[in-house]
Amino acid sequence: MRFVSLTAVAALAILTAAPAVAQDTIKIGIVVEATGPNAEAGVFTLNGAKLALEEINAAGGVLGKRLELKPEDNQSTNPGTVLAFSKLFGEKGIVSIIGPIRSTQIQAASPTIAKAGIPTMIGGTDPSLTKVNNRWVFRGRPNDSYSSRVIADFGVNTLKKRKWAIVHSTDAFGSGGMNALTASLKALGITPVLVQGYTNNSQDFTPVVLAVKKSGADIIGTYMTNSPDVGIFAKQLRQLGVSADWVGSPSLVSVTAMELAGPALNGVHSVADFTPDASAESKAYTAKYKAAYKLDPDVYSSWAYDAMRILARAIGDAKSTEPEAIRKGIVGIQGWKGVEGTYSFDDKGDGLRGYNVVRIDNGKVGFIKHIDFKD
Amino acid sequence: MPRDPLPSFGTPRAPDPDPERKPSVEALTNNLQVIFQGLALGSIYALVALGFVLIIRATNVVNFAQGDFAMLGGYAMVLFFSALGWPYALALVAALVVMAIFGVLFNYGVYYPLRHRSFLPVLISTLGASIFLQNTVLAVFGPQPRPLEKTLPVDGINVGGVFLDSQYLVILAVTLLLVLGTYLFFEKTLLGKKLQATSQDKDMARLLGIPVALMISITFIYSAVLGGIAGVLVGPILFVSIGMGSIIALKAFAATIIGGFGDVTGAIVGGLLLGVIESLAAYHISVPYKDAYAFLALFLFLLVRPQGIFGEKVSEKA
Repeated sequence: MRFVSLTAVAALAILTAAPAVAQDTIKIGIVVEATGPNAEAGVFTLNGAKLALEEINAAGGVLGKRLELKPEDNQSTNPGTVLAFSKLFGEKGIVSIIGPIRSTQIQAASPTIAKAGIPTMIGGTDPSLTKVNNRWVFRGRPNDSYSSRVIADFGVNTLKKRKWAIVHSTDAFGSGGMNALTASLKALGITPVLVQGYTNNSQDFTPVVLAVKKSGADIIGTYMTNSPDVGIFAKQLRQLGVSADWVGSPSLVSVTAMELAGPALNGVHSVADFTPDASAESKAYTAKYKAAYKLDPDVYSSWAYDAMRILARAIGDAKSTEPEAIRKGIVGIQGWKGVEGTYSFDDKGDGLRGYNVVRIDNGKVGFIKHIDFKD
Repeated sequence: MPRDPLPSFGTPRAPDPDPERKPSVEALTNNLQVIFQGLALGSIYALVALGFVLIIRATNVVNFAQGDFAMLGGYAMVLFFSALGWPYALALVAALVVMAIFGVLFNYGVYYPLRHRSFLPVLISTLGASIFLQNTVLAVFGPQPRPLEKTLPVDGINVGGVFLDSQYLVILAVTLLLVLGTYLFFEKTLLGKKLQATSQDKDMARLLGIPVALMISITFIYSAVLGGIAGVLVGPILFVSIGMGSIIALKAFAATIIGGFGDVTGAIVGGLLLGVIESLAAYHISVPYKDAYAFLALFLFLLVRPQGIFGEKVSEKA
C-alpha cells in the first residue's frame, strides 16, 4: 500500500511537472508611478501595457510561453526609480523592462540599467537619454529634438508665424525642450523674442503672461510638465487678452490637462506622439482601450502598449530571451506600424522620428497632420 | 462643455482700445494686476495661516496637516458638488459640516492621546496624519487633479486693463469677512474669551471652570473649517489635487513666522505680504525663482526680526 502511494505520488509529480514547464512565463518588468504626485500617469501606463499583454497572450504568447508583467512602483521620484529598477534586476527571470515616462527618472536610473545589461523600453523624450553610451535603453516614443522640430516647422511653415515666445518648465524635460526648440527655430533663422521659464506647480502665471504680452509675440511655444500648470496658464492667458497662436509639447493634450483647462484650451495646437484618429492602428487601439477601461487613451498608455508589443516582437524575432538577442531583435524592427507611428529603430535605440500636430476645439482633439523627419 | 466667451487661441488680437496709452499707464496696470493676484493668493495663505495660529495658540503645536485640511475641503466639494450634483450652497454647507466633524476626529485621533507629552510627539503625529490623509484621498479619489466650478457664474471683470478674476474677488471678500468674524468672535463673545483664556494658560483656565478639552476641540473644528473654506475657494483656480495643501501650507507656515508666531493679525498680514512680495518679485526680477522670494523674505525676517511683525520679544509665557 505504501509502495503504491509512493508511486502514485511520483507519477503525479511527473504529470504535474510537464504542464509546469509549459506554463513557464516570460517575465517583463514595468517601472511605473503608482504612488506620488504623478500617479495619474502610472495608472494609464499600466493600463496600456496590460492591454498589449492580454492580446499577446490571447494570441498564444511568445515562443510558446505566456508573458507575465511584474509592476514595480517608483513613487514618482528619482531615488524610487533607481530602487525599483534594482529590485526588478535582482529578481530572477526578468528579461526586459518597460521604464517610466519621465526623463529625469531615466537619467537617474540609466547607470543601473547599463550595469544590469537588460533591454529597457523608455518613455522619456529628453534626446540625450539614448546618447549616453547606454546600449540597453530603447525609446518607445519620438524624442524632443523631433517634437521641437515639428513645433517650429508647423508654427513657421504652416501657421506662418515668426515672432516666438518660448515658455517652459525649468525641470529636465522643460529645459531640454526649450533648448531643442531654440535650436530648431535657429535652424529656420528665428531668434525667439522671449524665453521664459517657470517652476512646476506655479500657482500664478500672471508674470509669465504679462511677459508674453509685453514681448508682442504672435506665437507661443511651450514645454510644460504638469497638467494643473497648463490649466492655470491657459486660463490666465485668455483672461489677460493674449490670443496668439500656441503650439506646445504633448502634455497639452493629456486627458487631465484638457479636463482641467476645459474650453480655455480652444484653438491650441499641440504636437502629440499619440492621436486617436491619426492612423488605422491608433483608431483600433482607441476602440480597444475604451472598451477595456471606459476611458479615453492618451500617450501615457499608448507608448506602453507599443513598448510591450515591441518587446514581444523582438523576443519572437530573436527566438531567445537573452539580452543581446533581444537587443538585436529591437534594432531589427524596421517599418513596423505601432499606434504611435512607424517604428524604425537605429543603433542608438530611437525608433520614431516624427510627431502628429493636433488642434484642440471644445475638448476634442482633431488630427491636423503628421510631420516626419528622415534624420 | 460650457461656452467660453473669450476668443480662441490663434484668433487675431482684439484691437487695442487705447493705442495712445502711455507706457507708464501700461506699467501701472501690469503692476496692479500683479498686486491683485498676489493679494488673492496671499489671502489663501492667510486663511491657512490663521488655522495654523489658532492651533498653535491652543496647543502650542504646529499642525503639519493644516494644508491637508484645505485639500480635504476641496475634495469634499468635488464629491458633493461635482460628483453628486448637489446645489452649490448645499454642497458648500455639507463640505463644511464634514470639515467640522473631521476637526473633532482629528483632535481625538491625533492630538488628544498625546496632549500630556511634549510638543515633538504631537508634531510628528500631525505629520503622520498628513501622510495618512494624502494617501487615503489618493486611494479614494485617484491621482487625477479635479476641476471645480467657480463660486460665481462669471469669469471675472476687466477694470481699466486689470482683469479681476471673480474667484479671486470671492477669495478676498471671504477672507476679509472671516478675519473680521474671527476678531469679533475672540474679542466679543464669551466663548471666544474662554478660548483665549485656554490658549493663554490651560491650568488657570481649568481652575476657572473652563472645559479645556472642549475648548481645544472647538479650536480644531474652527481650524478645520477655515482650512476647508480655503480649499473650496482655491480649488477653481489651482484645481483640487492631493498636493494642493502642501504647496499652500508651506507658504502659510512662512507667513505665520513673518507675521509673528502665534499672532492672529500677524498671520493675516504675513500671508498677504508674502503673496504680494512673491508676485511682484516674480514679475520684476525673475519668474523661476518665485518660490525663493517667499523663503528669502522668511530668511530676512528670521535674521532681522525673528519674532515677526507682530510677535512679542518673549514669545513663551511664564
